[in-house]
Amino acid sequence: MDYKSIRKSEITEFLDNLIKEYVIFAPIEKDDIVLYGRIKSGNEVILDYSNSVNSPKEAVIPQLETLISCKTDKDITCVKEHLDEQEQFLLFGARPCDARSLLFLDKVFSDEECKDIYYVNRRNAVTIISLGCTLPQETCFCTTTGGGPFSTDGSDLLFIDIGDSYIVQIITEKGAELVEKLDLRKTQDDELTGMDMLIKKSRASIEPEIELDKLKDKLDRSFEGSAWEILAEKCLSCGICTYLCPACHCFDIVDEERKCEVERIRLWDSCQFPHFTMQTSGFNPRPTYKERYRQRIMHKFSYCIDNYGMVGCVGCGRCVTQCPVNLDIRQVLTSFYGK
Amino acid sequence: MTDVSSKIREEARKLLKNGEVDVIIGFEKGSIPFSATPCFVRNEADTDKLIWNEYCGNNLARYLSEVRGKAGIIAKGCDTRAIVELIKEKQIQRERISIIGVPCEGMLDRKRIMMSCQRKDKTGIEDQDGQLLTRGDSLNTAVKKDEFLYPACHVCTNRNPVMYDVLIGNTIEERKTDDFADVTEFDEKHSEERWAYITDEIGRCIRCYACRNACPLCYCKECFVDSTQPQWVGKTTEQSDTLSFHIMRSIHLAGRCIECGACERACPVLVDIRILNRKMSADVKNLFGYKTGLDIDQPAPLSIFKPDDSEEFMLDV
Amino acid sequence: MGKIDTNWEPRIIAFLCNWCSYAGADLAGVGRMQYPANVRVIRVPCSGRISPFFILSSLQNGADGVLVSGCHPGDCHYLTGNYSARRKFALLKSQLEHIGIEKERVQFTWVSASEGGKFAEVINRVTETVRALGPAKKLVKKCL
Repeated sequence: MDYKSIRKSEITEFLDNLIKEYVIFAPIEKDDIVLYGRIKSGNEVILDYSNSVNSPKEAVIPQLETLISCKTDKDITCVKEHLDEQEQFLLFGARPCDARSLLFLDKVFSDEECKDIYYVNRRNAVTIISLGCTLPQETCFCTTTGGGPFSTDGSDLLFIDIGDSYIVQIITEKGAELVEKLDLRKTQDDELTGMDMLIKKSRASIEPEIELDKLKDKLDRSFEGSAWEILAEKCLSCGICTYLCPACHCFDIVDEERKCEVERIRLWDSCQFPHFTMQTSGFNPRPTYKERYRQRIMHKFSYCIDNYGMVGCVGCGRCVTQCPVNLDIRQVLTSFYGK
Repeated sequence: MTDVSSKIREEARKLLKNGEVDVIIGFEKGSIPFSATPCFVRNEADTDKLIWNEYCGNNLARYLSEVRGKAGIIAKGCDTRAIVELIKEKQIQRERISIIGVPCEGMLDRKRIMMSCQRKDKTGIEDQDGQLLTRGDSLNTAVKKDEFLYPACHVCTNRNPVMYDVLIGNTIEERKTDDFADVTEFDEKHSEERWAYITDEIGRCIRCYACRNACPLCYCKECFVDSTQPQWVGKTTEQSDTLSFHIMRSIHLAGRCIECGACERACPVLVDIRILNRKMSADVKNLFGYKTGLDIDQPAPLSIFKPDDSEEFMLDV
Repeated sequence: MGKIDTNWEPRIIAFLCNWCSYAGADLAGVGRMQYPANVRVIRVPCSGRISPFFILSSLQNGADGVLVSGCHPGDCHYLTGNYSARRKFALLKSQLEHIGIEKERVQFTWVSASEGGKFAEVINRVTETVRALGPAKKLVKKCL
């Protein structure tokens, strides 16, 4: 494993250099909340944050995208595919859990047999520089779902905060290429020892809570059980957990007339909305909170293992922090495995 | 506060024991710091879970129209105002609910508390003797809890339950009546400034509908935004669609919104457009002399009319 | 400021109640009264039928102005439809102004079946005010 170092005071300059070549998405603070968004200059970025409210998945699966548009002008109808050449872009300062989520999304949208060209187009253009978590939050549970506060899965480079400097861990060739372009200093041996200590300490603060393979079996047998009704009783059926989740990826496609154009738009959808499964006949197979909440948990912790060989959750804790009624996914999972 | 909790448990136990209710809707301790979470208690033993503290911000009346059986509810002033409206709109029956009223001095905003220490130079926050103490490498500051009151609690005029079967503790002094100073102040701004504020706020909206789903009065089986035939509002997050959703929601809640602020509390991206609902409340009061959620017998303002209602807004030809 | 389009004509949607205002418009036509051709009339059974959604949808989909007209108070074919409508419209208009949309874009009035002259005058007034405001930009749907 290769390492380089960069002083914290040099980060702004580092980003300003990169901005000439890349579109950069990074955590920024706006109106008191930390959101992931496009930056115009290096000094906008904040790196002493816990985690952003929204997840960086927006960079690869935007909430809203036009797939094709159609226009009639003087009796000639032309259809335009909105698949432009993608600019190279960077996800800077993403948390390791969020970087890992892209590996999961790859399985959904970029499978060998079935590729979503819109997704692949963006995914190929992205380089991910993640930021290890020296101070995990109370709501973090990445170790439970197979990741960790310094997991390198999905990242091209991993920054590790060691006080005055960041150690830059080079993970992929893409990352190495990027580092070559920049003038980073050699990492000292004592810096590496300090880093190992930090990693151990941080990891120890989030011990895994559940064994996932055993959980799956329990969940599968619970499908018809009465537990779900009680668990989902306080659920509001809003879309917060799914929209903020870095791994949730369900979408809807609608045709909309906007000005004199018809656009085919893909937008996020949520399994928590009653209309998600509403059929033309008026029949809804998931009519109540119980079925919808069960779907969310079963999808992530059972069906995804069947279909993709990994769980559809990276343990970022956004759904725990942001749920308006504190319906804590960790408690729900423990209630099954605890039996 | 603990005293209130034990009284609540006692009342809840009584109601369940006598078979007066099938379920008690209250709060239990949350799983994360500075939180309480709605809970449904169905047997006497579980009543020990019930708590009351300054984090019981959710409007529990929201669950009443869906819960099965007779329900007991732990209700703040705003919750009871929602109950009044729900009864008036025939969503619930008064005789099927038991209200355990609790006077409320305002609830604290968990998210803003957590945000105040999310940057790493502050490592944590603690509750000490009515003050919140922020610990950190560079600073140790004590903040008065009041600074984290929800915005809606600042303008609350009904801190005491307006309707109850049992009242826990003593009533507290109400603030002066609402003069809608915030609405007047907002309206005095230039129209472009108002437009900029509203569009900036809704620019963050992700259309998760948490505002709608947390609202005790948003009980429609099919919401206008979900309707596809006809499709009133586009589903995108483009400004026109998002704004139309929020305008229509405020119009739909005109004369019904009880200003509990549940919408603003639920929002993950802190969109604060309560001013839309506040404007409607101000208009309903000024034009039709109505304040929501106080009197079951007073008909809803948009279900009636007076022959001499103001026509000031109309085209003068 | 962009280039001023000298060919621009305001597009105004007029929701007229079947019993009074629509008949008023008819009378204006029969009487050969002149008024601008900027209005697209949509006939509705009663002003009480008009949901605020209609007005908002019009503005979203390219109307520069919206006019709603019904029977005079007391003259409603369904007795009280216009009274109920009046309360709704008062709130809608106030809310639109509150968020910063030009209040003159949405207008409400009463025109009876015998008031052909008034109808023509209303259309004149509304068209001229909306023309002065220019094309509606705030609520209109944009291409993504």
